[in-house]
Amino acid sequence: MSATVDLTALAGAQTPGLERSLDKPRTLWGDTWQQFRKHTLAVICLVMLLLITLGSIFGPIMLPYDPEQIDFESKSQAPSLSHPMGTDELGRDQLVRVLDGGRISLAVAAISVVMAMTLGTLVGSTAGYLGGAVDNVLMRIVDVFYSMPGLFVVILLLTVLGPGFWTIAIAIGVLRWMGTARLVRASFLSLKEAEFVEAARTIGVRGPIIVTRHLLPNALSPIIVAATLGMAGAILTESALSFLGLGFQPPQATWGRLLEEASNVVINKGHWWRGLFPGLMIFLVVLSVNFIGDGLRDAVDPRRRQR
Amino acid sequence: MTGYLVRRLLQLIPLLVGISILVFLMLQMTPGGPLASSEAPGATGRITAEELERMRNRYGLNDPLHVQYLNWAKDLFRGDWGTSFNTGRPVFDMIMERIPTTLLLTGIAFTATILVAIPIGLIAAVKQYTQLDYIATAIAFIGISVPSFWLSLMLLYLFSFELGWLPSVGLEDLRTEHHGFSAFVDRVRHLILPVAVLTMASAASLTRYLRSAMLDVLSQDYVRTARAKGLSETVTVGIHAFKNGSITIVTILALEIPDLFIGAVIVESIFAISGMGRLFVESANLRDYPVLMGILMISSTLVIVCNLLADLIYRMLDPRIRLG
Repeated sequence: MSATVDLTALAGAQTPGLERSLDKPRTLWGDTWQQFRKHTLAVICLVMLLLITLGSIFGPIMLPYDPEQIDFESKSQAPSLSHPMGTDELGRDQLVRVLDGGRISLAVAAISVVMAMTLGTLVGSTAGYLGGAVDNVLMRIVDVFYSMPGLFVVILLLTVLGPGFWTIAIAIGVLRWMGTARLVRASFLSLKEAEFVEAARTIGVRGPIIVTRHLLPNALSPIIVAATLGMAGAILTESALSFLGLGFQPPQATWGRLLEEASNVVINKGHWWRGLFPGLMIFLVVLSVNFIGDGLRDAVDPRRRQR
Repeated sequence: MTGYLVRRLLQLIPLLVGISILVFLMLQMTPGGPLASSEAPGATGRITAEELERMRNRYGLNDPLHVQYLNWAKDLFRGDWGTSFNTGRPVFDMIMERIPTTLLLTGIAFTATILVAIPIGLIAAVKQYTQLDYIATAIAFIGISVPSFWLSLMLLYLFSFELGWLPSVGLEDLRTEHHGFSAFVDRVRHLILPVAVLTMASAASLTRYLRSAMLDVLSQDYVRTARAKGLSETVTVGIHAFKNGSITIVTILALEIPDLFIGAVIVESIFAISGMGRLFVESANLRDYPVLMGILMISSTLVIVCNLLADLIYRMLDPRIRLG
C-alpha cells in the first residue's frame, strides 16, 4: 500500500551496511525489489493479494447480483455456473457477498495497521530519540500493553465502544502498536549514535529534521515488514471478532460475519459452500500476507540476502 | 540467582499496577459506569433517580477517581472481584468454576504441540532445503495462516456431519450416560477436534522457531567438531545440538501458554465448551463488565508469569547469560 509512495520519497536514502555496486547507482527500494523478485512464492502471493483486493473493490459492481438481493427461487443452492460460490438460505449470491465483505475486512485491517504503525512509530521514535526518563516511562507503558492478552482487550474495548467500522479498526489498532514501538526505539537508539547523524547535528540540523530526514527513513524497513505481517493478525482478529458476534453486525457482510451466519447450516445441514468460501478468502489473504512479509524481510535485510 | 529473582518479582508490581489502572479506566468508560446493572434490562425492577444517587454514595462512586481506584484495587487484592451483573454471583467463584475445563483443553493441546512440533522442527532443520523441509515449511505456513474458527467449522462439517465419527458440541454426551471406560472414550471423542485445532496453530509457529533455532546451533563450530571426531549424526544432532537448541524452545514454549489460553476463547465458543474463554465471550455479549474485568486480570497475570518463567528458564539453561 504505502510502499509505492515510499519508493520515490526514499530513493537515495543512506543505508549503512548495504553493499553498493560502483557501476550504476542503486537505491534501497530498487535493491529491495530486486531481492523480493527472487522470492517466487512471495511474488505469486503478491499477485493473488492484488487480485483479491481488486475483486473486492470492483467485483460487486461488475457482478449481476446485489449483496442484499433476496431471491427465494434459488435459496441454499450448491455452487453452480450462475452462482460459483452457491447461495444462502435467502437466495443471496454468495460470491458477491464474499467480495463485498472482503472490501470491509481488508479496509478495516489496513486502517488498523496504519493506525498501529503510526502510534508505534510516534511512541518508539520519541522514546528512542529523547531517551532518559521519557524513554523509561513510554517503555513501561509498552510493557503494560504487552502484558494484556490482546483478543481479550479488543473484545472488552468493543463492548465499551460499541461495534462499528471505526471502533473495530481502533480496537484492533490499539492492540498492535507495541511491537512497532519497540522496533523503532531500538533502531533509533543505535542510529542516533551513527556518524552521519552526528555530522548532521554538527552542521546545525535541528532535532525534528534529524528525526524525520535522517533517522526515520533508516528505520523504515523493519516497520514495513512489521506492517505487512501485522495485516495478517489484523484480518484474523477482525474475522474472529465478527465470527464471535462481537464485531460487525448484520446485515453488513464481512468474511467473519459470513462464517458466523454459516456455522449453523454447515454443521447441521451440511451446506459446506457457505463455510468454505468466506474462510478460504481469509486463509488466502493471511497466507499471502505472511509469505509477502517473509519475502520482504529477506529482501530488506542485507544479512539474509541470497546472492 | 536469588537476587535476580527478587528483583524480577519486584518489577512485576508496577506492571500489575499499570494493568489494573488500565482495566479500571476501561471500567469507568463503560456506558453507565459500574452501576449499569441497575439500569440494565435484566435488572430486578428499575430504580428511581434518588435511589441511584443513594447507591452512588454508598458505593463511593462520588469519590474522586483515585480514591475509587484505591478502593477497587484493595478489593481486587483481597479476592473480592465484585458480583456478576448477570447471575449476581461472585465473579471469583464463576471464573474458578470454569478454569479447570480450560486447563484440561489447553493442557492437552500444549502436550500435543510439543509432541508434534519437536520432531517436525528437528527434521526440517537437519534436512534443510530438502523436500521434507519444504513440506514441513509449507504445513507450518498453512497452520499459521488458517483461521482457527474456519478450520473448526470445516472439521466439524467433515467429521461430525459428513462422516458422523465425532460429536460436534460440548465435552460429554448428554443424551446417554457413560460410566468408567466408556465415559473416558466419550470424553476423548469430544476433545479430539478442539485439541486438534488449538494444536495446529501453536505447533505450526513452534516448528518455525525450532527450525531456525536448530539451524543456528547446527552451524556452530562445536557441532562441526562433533562430526569431525566421528560421532554419529544421531548423537551430534540429538544430543549435542538439540541440547542447545532446546534453550530457545523451552523459552518459546513458556510464551506459548498465554496464546493457547487466548486461542481457547474461539475454540470453546465454537465447540460449546464451558471454559473461561466461553465465559468471556458470553459476558461480553451480556455486557457483564465485572466478569470481563476479572478474566482480563487473571489472563494478564498469566501473561506476566509466563514471561517471567521464560526469562528464568532461559537464564537457568544458558550459562552464558547467568550473571548476577
